[in-house]
Amino acid sequence: MHPLLENAKRTVDQAELYWNQSHSIAVRYENYRLQQVTENDVSEASLRVIKDGKIGSAYAVFPDQEGFLDHAVSGAQYGDPIAYSFAGEADYPKLDNYNETTAQLQSADLIEVCETIKSKLQKQLPDVALRIGANFEKSELAIQTTCGAKAEAKSTGVGYYFGAPFKGAGIGVFKFESGITPPVVNDALLDEFVTWYNWGNQSSTPSTGRLPVILAPEAAFLMMMPLLAGVSGEAAWKKTSPLTQRLGEQILSEKLTIHENPLLVGSTDARAFDDEGVPCAKRPIVEKGILKEFLYDQRVGAAMEQPSTGNGFKRTMFGSGNETPINPWFACPTIDPGDTSWRDLVKGIKEGLLITNGMGFHSGNYPQGQFAVQAVGFHIVNGAVVGRLDKTMISGNIYQDCLNVAAVSSEVGSCSGFLPLGTSPYILLDSLQVAGK
Amino acid sequence: MKSTFANIVSSLPADYADLRFEENRKIRIGYEGKELTQVATTLTSGGHVRAYANGGKAISSFSDPKRAGSIADATCASALLVGNSREKKLKIASAPVITEDFHIPPGRDPRTVSLKEKLDLTNHYNDIILQNPHVITTQTMYDEFTSRRIFVNSDGSIIEYELVNVGIFGMIVTKKGDVVQRVRFAFGGNTDFSPLLDREDDVRKQITKACELLDAEPARAGTYPVVLDPSESGVFIHEAFGHLSEADGLQNNPSFRAKLQLGTALGKPILNVTDDATLPGLPGSFEIDDEGVRGMRTPLITDGVLSGRMHSRETAAEFGEPLSGNMRAVDVQFTPIVRMSNILIETGNSTFDDMVSSIDNGYYLVGAKGGQTSGDQFTFGAQWGYRIIDGKLGNMVRDINMSGELFSTLQATSMIGNDVKFGERGGCGKGGGGPMQMNRKSGKGSPHIKIDAVTIGGI
Repeated sequence: MHPLLENAKRTVDQAELYWNQSHSIAVRYENYRLQQVTENDVSEASLRVIKDGKIGSAYAVFPDQEGFLDHAVSGAQYGDPIAYSFAGEADYPKLDNYNETTAQLQSADLIEVCETIKSKLQKQLPDVALRIGANFEKSELAIQTTCGAKAEAKSTGVGYYFGAPFKGAGIGVFKFESGITPPVVNDALLDEFVTWYNWGNQSSTPSTGRLPVILAPEAAFLMMMPLLAGVSGEAAWKKTSPLTQRLGEQILSEKLTIHENPLLVGSTDARAFDDEGVPCAKRPIVEKGILKEFLYDQRVGAAMEQPSTGNGFKRTMFGSGNETPINPWFACPTIDPGDTSWRDLVKGIKEGLLITNGMGFHSGNYPQGQFAVQAVGFHIVNGAVVGRLDKTMISGNIYQDCLNVAAVSSEVGSCSGFLPLGTSPYILLDSLQVAGK
Repeated sequence: MKSTFANIVSSLPADYADLRFEENRKIRIGYEGKELTQVATTLTSGGHVRAYANGGKAISSFSDPKRAGSIADATCASALLVGNSREKKLKIASAPVITEDFHIPPGRDPRTVSLKEKLDLTNHYNDIILQNPHVITTQTMYDEFTSRRIFVNSDGSIIEYELVNVGIFGMIVTKKGDVVQRVRFAFGGNTDFSPLLDREDDVRKQITKACELLDAEPARAGTYPVVLDPSESGVFIHEAFGHLSEADGLQNNPSFRAKLQLGTALGKPILNVTDDATLPGLPGSFEIDDEGVRGMRTPLITDGVLSGRMHSRETAAEFGEPLSGNMRAVDVQFTPIVRMSNILIETGNSTFDDMVSSIDNGYYLVGAKGGQTSGDQFTFGAQWGYRIIDGKLGNMVRDINMSGELFSTLQATSMIGNDVKFGERGGCGKGGGGPMQMNRKSGKGSPHIKIDAVTIGGI
């Protein structure tokens, strides 16, 4: 047991120490030129204590920082009584997300990755304002409690990205790939980037009205973030979720099956235990459109008389990290693929949209399933892309509009946006409200 | 410590180097509904080094001050690696050497207020909200951030300065049938604890709006003329124009650099926009930025014409434009990036009634609800709104997001009110090529404005 916890045991009922130490390197290219190298060595710790049945917390750089325990105890004197204990001893699932070769990467290795991307793209798109970057991080996370939990994980993560605005436009195309092992530049991803970039040479504004819409994996957050807000046990507890009392009901199309998949192989967000030291496990959240489960951390689980589902994470829409209060959150959400190529989905559309991003999502009433965003993506006419979307908004409610899914693609890609790194196919919705011409 | 850090940066074989060391304290008290979810103190410290060598740049953050010297050496070596690969060398504009300490202005210093008083005050406002029968939950947060920073650079600047920001903010969540609505409230947002007191009436006004929204109709999709209240127009000028006036976003974007040459006519002559760190008592006010440059007033649009820009020392050198003192880092793990201080649309001559009466079919949109921008594209939400029909305010509307393109929207800004107002609480999220930095110290001000056409997403 960490000495801080040994010390804490003398003054509090229970204590929990979270300590993460990380080393990261990032290189960034702008306009095909190496712009900057960033290297960080960071330690961050958080301490929660329960004293006289009340909880207090404090955050610091190192566990031995002066005043760390005192501040947590001070907070506990004002805290509300709590109905749960910190995590106890547990068997954690095996998760191999550390690679020794990756752990040795240096900035020169990341520069080499970027140079590979640069050499391949510069030939095809010499005049674009291309940004390329590569990131590497290795970290050691330890969560210990005076109740017996001892969760430790070493992890590595490495990734690269590239993107560019369309000429004269504020939006563009962005692609990325990440994993646990040393990166190999994916030529198919580069080819897709070139194709999409060239699609965007022309702008096009669709008709106003209801049109079929394909959500690319990059835009899956438009459906998944409202769903996350809905399946959060906290929202169910506070009765702000539109899914309260709907367990076992059809909430999305039967073509949609969604898992919380924290052990997802290769995801840099994969976790064997959550930020409270509770074991993680794969869980069905929506199975053929039927709501199967809510997500709980220990606090919310106790309030709802349910065990934690291992989803207590220091994550929010706008960030994550040491100081973020623990709340129910996805580790790695995945949406099951279908059996149609996404390009065939495009071919079947008379007029519609391929959405790759949505701007302004967080300004909407998404906890109720709603979204109204500036549409980023492409306009489809007669089965072919005719240009990038311009002056276009899409809006809807996932619990109405995602009941009618025409098809789900066989290919999956990484979710991005506000979501942790899960996977999603392309999803063809029968229609969404479009504000265009 | 100052002299140790100063010796480290002055001995580096760099074109330029600086080091910022911070000791930060945050206090957060949070309620969600009746539940007190956190009473937390955060103590962080650490350093951040930037080095330019042979025209290349590298940066590092570190937690252990004992490693400052070795980290600085490694950072300098990385900068050289970058510089050796670049034909076009990065440069740094010269800046005055400053050896001075800056402390917070007088007021009731939140550091002198007991935790108990802060807790009781937060609980008091939360209780007021919970008394309303339509309220199903709340999020009420006391947020205090204090930072003592040391900045040294290889030019010889040695500066110690403080940042303090304190506020209470939150969300009122109401429900009627299946309709759930959220309205925000916020007060404080500067260095003084006093504005947090006696704000019951302000809280009650927001509760009323959150209840009225339950009977409001959803906005209808389409393109409309709109009147924006000062909160919304402050977000508009911040999101749509302000970010494109931050030179680090333009530095590597040739097409927007070409569009945004100083002297370009961007709007009607009634439009004047300024960034001003020197205005007292606002969220984005400060004496010195995180690059050792004094905060100042920078006209951005004068009589409709682009007249200035916000800079770092690096971008000022590249653009050949004056320093503006806009480099800010939210915490020790982040490098400073170019950020607005207090951006405002200067006062105009129109009245609110003039604007409403000029619209046959449009919307009056009220209350900032966040926004997002990418290049010249922007999207932002309104907390509530009203139809405008035949020159008169009509029914209340809810669930409003609007979008547009900067250049046409600035040209379409046809009326500017005579009622400038600043939001109390600041806030801005920006990555600037790195991880997202959520900056409390970013103020926004504006009068009411009329825009002839924006796209609204709705049913």
